[in-house]
Amino acid sequence: MKINEIISGVLRGDKTSISRAISIVEGEPGSKNSRMLMEKIYKNIGNAHIIGITGPPGIGKSTLIGRLSGIITNSGKRVSIVAIDASSPFSGGAFLGNRIRMQESLARNGIFMRSIASRGMEGGLTASIWETVKILDAGGSDYIIVETVGAGQSDIEVVNLAHTVIVVLGPGLGDQIQALKAGIMEIASIFVVNKIDLPGAYIAIKDLQDTLAMSPQKGWKIPVLGVNSLDGTGFDELISSIGAHMDYIQTNDNAKEEIIKKELKVIAMEELRRSFERKMNAFLSDQKNGEILIKGSVNIYQIVDSILHDDKE
Amino acid sequence: MLGERSSVNGKNQSLFKDRPIKILLAKPGIDGHDRGIFVLSKAFRDAGMEVIYPGLLPKPEDVVEIAVNEDVDVIALSLLNGAHLTVFKKVVDIMKKRGIKDIAVVGGGTIPDEDKPKLEKMGITGNYGPGTPLSVIIEHVKKRAEEARKLKMA
Repeated sequence: MKINEIISGVLRGDKTSISRAISIVEGEPGSKNSRMLMEKIYKNIGNAHIIGITGPPGIGKSTLIGRLSGIITNSGKRVSIVAIDASSPFSGGAFLGNRIRMQESLARNGIFMRSIASRGMEGGLTASIWETVKILDAGGSDYIIVETVGAGQSDIEVVNLAHTVIVVLGPGLGDQIQALKAGIMEIASIFVVNKIDLPGAYIAIKDLQDTLAMSPQKGWKIPVLGVNSLDGTGFDELISSIGAHMDYIQTNDNAKEEIIKKELKVIAMEELRRSFERKMNAFLSDQKNGEILIKGSVNIYQIVDSILHDDKE
Repeated sequence: MLGERSSVNGKNQSLFKDRPIKILLAKPGIDGHDRGIFVLSKAFRDAGMEVIYPGLLPKPEDVVEIAVNEDVDVIALSLLNGAHLTVFKKVVDIMKKRGIKDIAVVGGGTIPDEDKPKLEKMGITGNYGPGTPLSVIIEHVKKRAEEARKLKMA
């Protein structure tokens, strides 16, 4: 497919073009094609509501998304899904297994879903995720659900991407001490305790509520919901909480400003990272530089300065 | 190393150069024997590929739809139930109907020798049976992926 066909296909909402466009931004980041694509579609974005779903591995994020996406589709809205799974630090390969838990809902409802490998990025996302979300936005999605890699305590990047962050937890993950900790426990717009049918689920909800009650909540009040993604318990509350959070953002200028600032930060950071990678690779691939480093008695700070301020690219 | 990423065979630098081979493993039709597909999933992962496995019992239509959504380089079909001549054919027929030419299809499972030329004729290559060394399968997939990748941005 030619790049112009792909661009017009994305704007028409054609799935094949959208899929190929994502391949371009993940396969050749920063290339001429990828830049042109993003600039051409940029005027058509801004309609989608981005929902980030994060939480520890095996807690039921994919299963939850399967059910949630089906409900949204049945309400007449268009939803797309991007799910990230971890790449091997050894082989670079990945087993992208999120689809298994939602395939039934995807097939029944004709939902576009893309699995992406983390490719060495930390924080729970992948390098091309921002562009990928924008392509889906330009392609006419009303909702875009982003599933992070199974997250640890400090994997909080999704907060810079999503309008509504849902942190999915479950019974047996720890007591109120865990709920008090910094990081992932601070980024939720909505807390969901999945597997509500298992023992300990209500204690987990109570621990979260107690911790939230300690700090005065101005503006948005973070709900703590119990759900069972297999039988659908609690999903009415989840859907109405997502709706309430959307309304909150739309009617609150501060929230809107925060989102635009975050977006700017993400794009700038990504450009910076790519420029860093280019410069660093150029330096490291030069045999001469290797010899200089081995010789020792070099001022490493001076070298760092010369790499970072090397503007001939 | 810093900033290094795996690329397709390290050679094919011009097309999606930062993207490893992406492969969809599927058992379309009524076949619940998934031990072999798990062994292959891990082998492909360890060979540096990104592996999609959508679970048991996808319809041929679903297999093609997933391949398009994920923009894979290769679809690897496996059946142990003897329905390969009908179900594998369905997958390639749907691909033809949708005009998809830039995704390679390979096959495997319990496939009698006399069926292999028929599958080859449909464009389904490999068709390896039990006992095939994993390295042979991986090499074949890499070769087919490279062909598909060349067609993707042609």
